[in-house]
Amino acid sequence: MPFTITQSCVGCQACKKICPVNAISGEKKEIHVIDPVVCIECGACGRICPHTSVLDQLGNLCAMVKRSQWKKPRVNSDECMSCNMCIETCPVNCLALSGAHDSGYPHGYPYLKEEKACIGCGFCSLECPVEAITMYSSVT
Amino acid sequence: MDRGYMGKILMVDLGSSTMEDELIPEEIYEKYLSGMGLASHILYHRIPAGADPLGPQNILGFVSGLLTGTGSLFSGRWMVVGKSPLTGGWGDANCGGTFSPAIKRSGYDGIFFSGISDKPVLLYIKNGKPELRDASHLWGKDAVESEELLKKEYGEHASVAVIGPAGEKLSLISGVCNDKGRLAARSGLGAVMGSKKLKAVVLDGKKRIRVYDRQEVNRLSRICNRWVKVQLPLGPGTGLGLLGILLRVLPTAMAMDGYVYKNILRKWGTGGLNQMSPEWGDSPVKNWKGSNVDWPLSRSKSAHPDLVKGYEVIKYHCYSCPLGCGGICRYPGKYKEGHKPEYESILALGGLCMNEDTGSLFDLNEYLNRAGMDTISAGAAVAFAMECYEQGILTKEDTGGLDLSWGDAGAIAELIRRMVDREGIGDVLADGVRAAARRIGKGSDRFAVHAGGQEPAMHDGRMDPGFAVHYSVEPTPGRHTIGSQLYYEMFQLWKRVKGIPKKLPFQIYTKNSRYIADEKKAQEEASSSRYMAVVNGAGLCMFGSFLGVTRTPTFDWLNAVTGWSKTPEQYMEIGQRIQTLRQAFNVKHGIEPKENRVHDRAVGRPPLTQGANKGRTVDIEKMMGDYWAQLGWDPATGKPTPQTLIRLGIEVS
Repeated sequence: MPFTITQSCVGCQACKKICPVNAISGEKKEIHVIDPVVCIECGACGRICPHTSVLDQLGNLCAMVKRSQWKKPRVNSDECMSCNMCIETCPVNCLALSGAHDSGYPHGYPYLKEEKACIGCGFCSLECPVEAITMYSSVT
Repeated sequence: MDRGYMGKILMVDLGSSTMEDELIPEEIYEKYLSGMGLASHILYHRIPAGADPLGPQNILGFVSGLLTGTGSLFSGRWMVVGKSPLTGGWGDANCGGTFSPAIKRSGYDGIFFSGISDKPVLLYIKNGKPELRDASHLWGKDAVESEELLKKEYGEHASVAVIGPAGEKLSLISGVCNDKGRLAARSGLGAVMGSKKLKAVVLDGKKRIRVYDRQEVNRLSRICNRWVKVQLPLGPGTGLGLLGILLRVLPTAMAMDGYVYKNILRKWGTGGLNQMSPEWGDSPVKNWKGSNVDWPLSRSKSAHPDLVKGYEVIKYHCYSCPLGCGGICRYPGKYKEGHKPEYESILALGGLCMNEDTGSLFDLNEYLNRAGMDTISAGAAVAFAMECYEQGILTKEDTGGLDLSWGDAGAIAELIRRMVDREGIGDVLADGVRAAARRIGKGSDRFAVHAGGQEPAMHDGRMDPGFAVHYSVEPTPGRHTIGSQLYYEMFQLWKRVKGIPKKLPFQIYTKNSRYIADEKKAQEEASSSRYMAVVNGAGLCMFGSFLGVTRTPTFDWLNAVTGWSKTPEQYMEIGQRIQTLRQAFNVKHGIEPKENRVHDRAVGRPPLTQGANKGRTVDIEKMMGDYWAQLGWDPATGKPTPQTLIRLGIEVS
């Protein structure tokens, strides 16, 4: 069940601009529409909408959250297995693999390379089987 | 759909530049899984009998796996499939990297191409929207160069599968490259892609892959990861060569636990075996006529595991792999940086050709990956030519002035360049040893070691007859990635599957017993085939599977991802169905399974007179018949019987 936009949309285009898969269409000052086939339910549209005009996959209205308060991933390298699942699943490609930490353990680890690009969807955390990624907010 | 699969495929007709989505019913996944299984269902029914592998009726498919992208580990393998121009039958080749999840993130379980384009094209899928685009500007460029250009054009995070010049020039030993130098090399499917004028597939999607019970999948993955993470303190790589000597001189062998091999893989990668394998007779030497006596430690040290590892700057993990057997290397030479050469490449370009120039092994590996030519088959073709040269069948006049003496690194490099460019003697060899022997004549087929047209890999059936059997009976003959007696020990299937032979932990047995052709071995070999068909339907990695079916819980992952409640025996029956449909594909296309028997030399006819495999001969005909009988195929012909087809619910056409 994808996200949907309600009639209270004012066409500000904030959601359209942030959608990582270009699922949202609509002209300025007109009600926007989410393509249900393309939507990946990352929730970025709901978090950014200033008019509370987005319903989530359960039909609940999404509350706007200041972007500075969006959660970011933090990687615990003790648990991480360098499998790259988080990097691959990230819809905005904001994670990257580090260089080898040392010659004794020459595996790379994911890190938040593009912090400003992160949309706080949490897919990286959700898909990490070893729970090496936690989502945190720097502002409380 | 919360069952791990995407539920649809993309069918592209390159002749008319049209494409359409096709929904796949759930019962097909239940019968064949996804990956190779789904592909066998599509290709069997849609490629007409007698279709030219390089013609418009052949279908080339790129498939992901049922477990790919679900949180299960080792599930990053994709597969290219089609009718093989090398063998004339079923063709597939398997590779890791990032391309497998990219197929599913684009919304598909598989992407299939028919027809032939009139100009070079590429398929680009952005967020589930496919389009064909012109690729003329890439034609002629090597695979890595092409990928770099495509990433500039479509974004650094796009996943790319691309052919190099070998595929463009329809070399029958060419493959499909992804992730800057990883090659789905076998079966000659790069030539099929080249024949269709399809230069590349570029995928950039972020579709969600939904799972029935993600918590359970993750729980299973955490248990599996614990086995991967615990690493034994291994000493220097020299010890592996010495271990090879010990394994050679002992009259007994011990059932291998794949956990031991896991430790070698994690530290050195497959290259950990570079010296050990020739010593204990696992690796063929000098076009299969030599032995460890010809390739002692003093010569194989050119690929000493620590020497190769010394160039590694970081481990390379395929998608969802906690092991990381690959590596990115920096080294002196033409290319400076590239993927670490695998054991197969090192031994095919090294011991098989008697080449002990370390630098050339790195350069040739990278050159062949960029050209999109199979390192195993290329090395075998060079070794074949060297023996023909030694025997006077090829002369300097034939070779265009090249002195093809054993081990001449410069001559090997030049010969391989000519193979890629299809120039002179290179054109003769560019389609593998069977085609080359037919072109050269003069009895050269005595030296053309192949199974059904495909060059066997660097594992010797005279040491482990299971390799000889699988080289001979697989619908894609000559493959080392399905089974052997050693693999059966590592899969440990008896711990989950009822009614198959058991092994005790580290069970000791005499080496002579390996060569007794009995029903028990046939059961083991058939079980390995069934299981690997499941693994290839799931998109799992064989190396991960070597940890054993309880530590790498294939069946449990499949149930947790799909919501099914199938027993291990039911999954093994699915494996049998996939295997049988692939064999039925071969029968439909006129392959006589008996003719896929591996070359005499590879089964010890005549037996070697020295070295680890001295005096060993494999009773291959009996072993093949026994294997076929286990799968319900005619033990005399290797063709699936009507009763078996009905029992498995396979409709043949």
